[in-house]
Amino acid sequence: MKILRVTSLQKAYGAVEATRNLSLAVEAGHIHALIGPNGAGKTTLVNQLTGDILPDGGTIQFHGHDITRLKPWRRARLGLARSYQITSIFPQLTVAENFALAILAGHRHNFRFWRPALSAHRVRELLPEALARFDLNASAGRPAGHLSHGEKRQLEVGMTLVGKPRLLILDEPMAGMGPGGTVELTKMIRQLQGKLTILLVEHDMKVVFNLADMVTVLVNGENIATGPPDEIRANPLVRTAYLGEEN
Amino acid sequence: MTRRLLTLLAGALFFALLPLFATFFGEPYLISLFTRILIYALAAVSLDLLLGYGGLISLGHAAYLGIGAYVVGILHQHQSEGMPLLSWPILVQGSDNALLVWPAAVLVAAFFALAIGALCLRTRGMHFIMITLAFAQMLYFFFLSLEKYGGDDGLSLYARNRLPGIDLGDSLHFYYVCLALLALFLLLAIRLSRSRFGLVLQGARENDRRAKMLGINTYWYKLACFVLAGGGAGLAGALLANQTEFVSPGLLHWTMSGELMVMVLLGGLGSLYGPVAGAAVFLLLEEGLAMYTEHWMVYMGPILVLVVIFAKRGLFGAIAGTARAE
Repeated sequence: MKILRVTSLQKAYGAVEATRNLSLAVEAGHIHALIGPNGAGKTTLVNQLTGDILPDGGTIQFHGHDITRLKPWRRARLGLARSYQITSIFPQLTVAENFALAILAGHRHNFRFWRPALSAHRVRELLPEALARFDLNASAGRPAGHLSHGEKRQLEVGMTLVGKPRLLILDEPMAGMGPGGTVELTKMIRQLQGKLTILLVEHDMKVVFNLADMVTVLVNGENIATGPPDEIRANPLVRTAYLGEEN
Repeated sequence: MTRRLLTLLAGALFFALLPLFATFFGEPYLISLFTRILIYALAAVSLDLLLGYGGLISLGHAAYLGIGAYVVGILHQHQSEGMPLLSWPILVQGSDNALLVWPAAVLVAAFFALAIGALCLRTRGMHFIMITLAFAQMLYFFFLSLEKYGGDDGLSLYARNRLPGIDLGDSLHFYYVCLALLALFLLLAIRLSRSRFGLVLQGARENDRRAKMLGINTYWYKLACFVLAGGGAGLAGALLANQTEFVSPGLLHWTMSGELMVMVLLGGLGSLYGPVAGAAVFLLLEEGLAMYTEHWMVYMGPILVLVVIFAKRGLFGAIAGTARAE
């Protein structure tokens, strides 16, 4: 079953075509990697998937819904989560509150004015597990803005996961991480394999070919090849367009 | 935590016992001065919900204060003239029963906040500040030209509202009514700030885009905050009209919004208790400095600059050691 299906997506900024007639399908349960040189339009595509920007043409189908023009928060409600390339957390709230917000976001509404948020039923149920799973127990009471870079990344990814999304878009999750952090995060993503669908936008080739079930190569806003890692590695078109540049 | 608790207890005790001292030392005017402080504190706390928790910088908060006051004034005028305010489609009589008039003031102010907020919240940043200011000034000029209700001369009340069992005309009774309402509003605001609603609101303030990406439609939460803050200011306006027994368009002027904002910043943004201290210091300074010079703002300005530079968490944060209301 395809959980995400992008058809003939178009987006231009003036004369620059950031997304050109792009079609893409992501199989449920797969880790689908999206690679491409800088400026290939990876982030533009992700922003269209999440609704931060709207395409000029084409459609996006997610889990049986046409989400092409839905507001970001509606897409999130359907089970589409995203972690950002540049860490995007709530810096003045504590780590526990960051998680609590992510946990409560899935509720139909949060117009509850009296009881403390941290003692809400769902929060008490899920928060300890989340803190332990992302190794943030010791920092639970600290403002998220005071965490180290690595811890912020853990929180960033953790927040997207506590909502139990169907599709997780990881936009360069390894960005700015040391080798140790990269290994940790790779392990974590591998643990998720099969449990949910992941669209992984990543620069680090080793990580991509290690993890991905499928790889899509984006060059100049176009999908020039999609296939299993071995096939992509051997694809001459990809080698000249992309891999050749790096080696 | 102890230092914070001590500060709060000292503050509560001070306000609770103030009338005793004022009477003992034969300075009854202090009671009316501090009643004014309590009322402005209520308005400032409501603004702090908006500024400190919603991160919504409204430069038009005085509008809701003024609307609350005008509800009292207009209903009072119809009551004393014996003419209904509305005869169609429903009959609305004037009234000076506080149990009717004050909730009406809150509801009308909240309704205006709903309508104005719904439009303002479609913008952000500088535009938001400007559009809240524009709406407040529109209302200011509306009341200025409303000849039926005094226009720029304002509207005088012949007596304060009536409340069963309590004589609002008595300065001591009125003081404690104001204190009780402020305490109640503070309690609500503190609970709210820690509630699920408060958490979502703070999330939207901190990182609106991320909050949306988590699946929260932040617009409605911000609008609810705007409405709650407007209602609080409306209540303060109703109390203010009763205290001064006079309502004028000046209450809605943008300088009033500015003064409320100064009280919040002086006391400590986002601390909820802080604006009470801010209102007290602001009005006491005004009162004290005005004895020496009519250009008291010349001295107020530098004091404010010093507080903002050296005590970023405001007076409350500096004294209690922590700024966040917890």
